[in-house]
Amino acid sequence: MSETSLAAERRRQWLPAWLRPREAEPRRGGRLWAIETTLLVLAGVFLAVATVNDLGREVDINHRLVADLATWRDYTHHDYVNISIDQETLGLDSGREVLCGNTRPGAPGSKTQICLAIWGAVVDGRRSVHGGWYLPPYHPDAPANRYGCFGPAGHGKCPR
Amino acid sequence: MSVAAHSERPRLLDVRPRRLAPALAGALALVLVAGVAEIVLDGAAGRSPLIPLSPDISSWLSGVGERLGYRVFLVALLACSGAYAGLLALLAARRARGPAADSRGRDPSAAAGRELAAPGVLGAALSPRGAIVLVAALQLIVFAGPILLSTDVFSYIAYARMGVEHGLNPYQNGPLAIAGDPVFQYVGSDWIHVATAYGPLYTLLSYPLAPLGVAGALWGMKLEALLASAGTLALTWRCARARGFDPAFALVAVGANPLYVIYGLGGAHNDLIMMLAMMAAVSLTLESRARTPSGRREAAAAAWVVAGALIKATVAVLLPFMILSRRRLAPILGALAAIALGAVIGYAVFGIHGIDLVAALNRDAAFVSTDSFATEIAHLFGKPGVFPVDHDLLKAALVLILVQLLWRTWRGYDWVAASGWALLAISVTSTWLLAWYILWPLPLALVTRDRRLLAATLAVQGLFVVHQISPLLAPVK
Repeated sequence: MSETSLAAERRRQWLPAWLRPREAEPRRGGRLWAIETTLLVLAGVFLAVATVNDLGREVDINHRLVADLATWRDYTHHDYVNISIDQETLGLDSGREVLCGNTRPGAPGSKTQICLAIWGAVVDGRRSVHGGWYLPPYHPDAPANRYGCFGPAGHGKCPR
Repeated sequence: MSVAAHSERPRLLDVRPRRLAPALAGALALVLVAGVAEIVLDGAAGRSPLIPLSPDISSWLSGVGERLGYRVFLVALLACSGAYAGLLALLAARRARGPAADSRGRDPSAAAGRELAAPGVLGAALSPRGAIVLVAALQLIVFAGPILLSTDVFSYIAYARMGVEHGLNPYQNGPLAIAGDPVFQYVGSDWIHVATAYGPLYTLLSYPLAPLGVAGALWGMKLEALLASAGTLALTWRCARARGFDPAFALVAVGANPLYVIYGLGGAHNDLIMMLAMMAAVSLTLESRARTPSGRREAAAAAWVVAGALIKATVAVLLPFMILSRRRLAPILGALAAIALGAVIGYAVFGIHGIDLVAALNRDAAFVSTDSFATEIAHLFGKPGVFPVDHDLLKAALVLILVQLLWRTWRGYDWVAASGWALLAISVTSTWLLAWYILWPLPLALVTRDRRLLAATLAVQGLFVVHQISPLLAPVK
């Protein structure tokens, strides 16, 4: 032990032994270390499984959204890029999406918008349209803004 | 088999790796620099979902790259991550060879100590000077480019301008209160209603930048982040050397870390300033332990932790570990003095809201990000997202981990390692996880003897990167 450490040790003599700081744990390694390491490895594996599962889920969602965008473009015959996708209106994690886009060329949302409710299995890169509604320019997809509802998905979605 | 044959064999086997190592390390370093440069140059072209709307500060770089898309960004991020992992593995392997190759019958652990502390520890793979050049190049490339991946820096500027130019309290108003200010258009839409959650010291540090205009303040913020990063790296080097580790390995592990460079420094995040205060505290306590144990240095170290918490509150978690480890009055007095000073200044300038960091932390703890492990676990169990009960469970898990770490520290476990574990646990159990949060424990992991912390920190960062790559596997056009 160095002189400085001894001096520090002397200064701490007034503390009871169990209160004095230790430079290292009494027994390094051993059973506690093994338990901790095992728990860490298990936690790591669990997080890795959750991450890979979530990655797979996101890839599935992306595939579905690609099909939804293609479906919207086929249905409206507009090859627009700026189409908004809402995954909450018809239920988060329900696999049912609402896609809204302009009915005429223009900045996103600047023209009358058509919203399509899309769900079902992906077949040939497309999914089924189950109805929809229209929105005035510059209006978000809120129930009060909807009009011209059509199809089963549009039933009861328009205020008037 | 003769003794001579024993001593000859390792030397023969060593020849090829010793020659290959520098070439491989050089190639990996080049991949890192090229990957970061690609992101910065493409980002400077603007009009990218990965580059926030910003004043034109990097137009002098535009024309070299093309618009930064998800594919290029993710490929560059993966290439950088792979090169970084390869570089660390190479350097770690070079270190590990030391004691085993010692054929003179010396104590392997002693040889390991010398090997770690020696200046040429990276062996022939990468010299300390090479490590410094690599890290400096990465930092400067990012500094020269646009703000990457986050609008946070514009919130910092908005809060500063709110106080200096508009006479509003940033602890009571969101950026929406200055909707007519030129910085408002750049603030992230999620944050326009949100008052600042940062500490009063950080807000005061940002005030002198407010009169410089948005572009001037942005350069000021970038410079602050660069200087904080340089300081953090210098202190990491110093702490690693003080503990007998290879400082160049520590420098590369922090300064060439892709998340540190691209997300942390690229976004000019104030986490870097918090980490500077954190490493200043660690450096002071290590110095105090190495030389004469000095009450003044220990008090100053505790004051630095408080200063860090007055930048961003998270770092306050170091304080109980430091105090429990030292068990002296000096750090307690240092912390109390700094808290009192910070509270007086914070109250005088910002009122009671400026020092109510608990409320700010509680508010932020309720946020949920898609990258958080909590969200991933919720999805694993078929839930659509994180619910209030999950927040409570995560808080309980965090408390259990902290209690275990405090107990270990009481028994003599390294308080720096315990602090690193605590910061890692906070980020992993948080429902609001961002890339720069998982940088917090990294410098600490490089200066502790418990190498599990470094492995765990890098593993968590690796999982974060893996979680980003879905646009690469299934691009949405």
